[in-house]
Amino acid sequence: MANLLWLQGGACSGNTMSFLNAEEPSACDLVTDFGINILWHPSLGMELGDNLQRLLRGCVSGEIPLDIFVFEGTVVRGPDGTGAWNRFAGRPMKDWVAELARAARYVVAIGDCATWGGIPATDPNPTDSTGLQFLKRQRGGFLGADFRSKAGLPVINIPGCPAHPDWVTQILVAVATGRGADIALDDLQRPKTFFTSFTQTGCTRNMHFAYKVSATEFGQRKGCLFYDLGCRGPMTHSPCNRILWNRQSSKTRAGMPCLGCTEPEFPFFDLAPGTVFKTQTVMGVPKDLPEGVDKTGYIKLTVAAKAAAPKWAEEDIFVV
Amino acid sequence: MDESALRRRIHDLLAGGLATEVCPRADTPEAVQTLIQALRARGGDLEGRLVLAGFTLNPVLHAGVEQACETCMYYLVHRRWCELPELDVPVEPHWSCRLWRI
Repeated sequence: MANLLWLQGGACSGNTMSFLNAEEPSACDLVTDFGINILWHPSLGMELGDNLQRLLRGCVSGEIPLDIFVFEGTVVRGPDGTGAWNRFAGRPMKDWVAELARAARYVVAIGDCATWGGIPATDPNPTDSTGLQFLKRQRGGFLGADFRSKAGLPVINIPGCPAHPDWVTQILVAVATGRGADIALDDLQRPKTFFTSFTQTGCTRNMHFAYKVSATEFGQRKGCLFYDLGCRGPMTHSPCNRILWNRQSSKTRAGMPCLGCTEPEFPFFDLAPGTVFKTQTVMGVPKDLPEGVDKTGYIKLTVAAKAAAPKWAEEDIFVV
Repeated sequence: MDESALRRRIHDLLAGGLATEVCPRADTPEAVQTLIQALRARGGDLEGRLVLAGFTLNPVLHAGVEQACETCMYYLVHRRWCELPELDVPVEPHWSCRLWRI
């Protein structure tokens, strides 16, 4: 039996909504099949007031073993470092986070806000929000760069806005069943199993990407969304087109450009007008190129691909 | 007017000396947006759109890159067509305009 505690800081509850929709395994499977005991969760917990405080204090003291501490949302430090803008169970949430993280065998940050600070931490960051161990791409965050949980791991970051439900439950199962040490993390402490490939990996528009045919308006079923509509699929690490959403689809499959929500810089360009759903260019060349591709190579590839493009690539091949 | 006839008409307009705004090129996202808005305001005015977009019958060399329709992201190779919604006109591969992008 592994005890799990889930708290929310500066959060919209989107990751909770996602988690509750998990299918493989489901949130119920965690309890019935994988021996996870959910001590408390904002949408599931029964305890209130003094009872909840008692439970939290028990986790901090070690009286209640805390195997997995899941945090969703930013750690709010404002105003002036007090954390008073996000009070919970009688004190600033940041104080609970500091103590519970020290007590837990594993700490898991769910969603962009808990991992990198997300939208709340975007400049000018009025609430002085941060992620657990990162502020955007800068290492440190609330717990500090050197933080290690009792199991010897740094915070396990599962980013996304929201994170896919199965990324969450699969990692929780791995940790709860004693395979935490098998989780290989990348430089940003994301599980490599999910975040080594790109959002583009498995995208149904890859043929159009290869032949440089662009979607120019929403609703077009042909064309790649990268060239004009701001899709970040080629430079975003996520398995969104491998582990499908609702088992059916993904943003790009549905015609929605990837917003790059698993990367620390999300939301890109601070959401300045004209930067969302529009590929930013400098002298006609995309400002952000597919990862590992330089400008010269990109131009050469595009010229060759355009010249080689077959006629069908310019047509809608998804005929009803 | 069919596509070939329209392509011929555009060619004749440009060859006949239609003064288009070749420069400055739309080098920044802001410049692109401004130009796109202006093109939308022109609606069905073909000549006005050709002028604003800075069409030329030959590629323009800019910042070390030859900006020809045939390498532009909006160009449909087989149809010889510019698919940018605000232009949406037949073109030739060696033509150019200042909204070129790759």
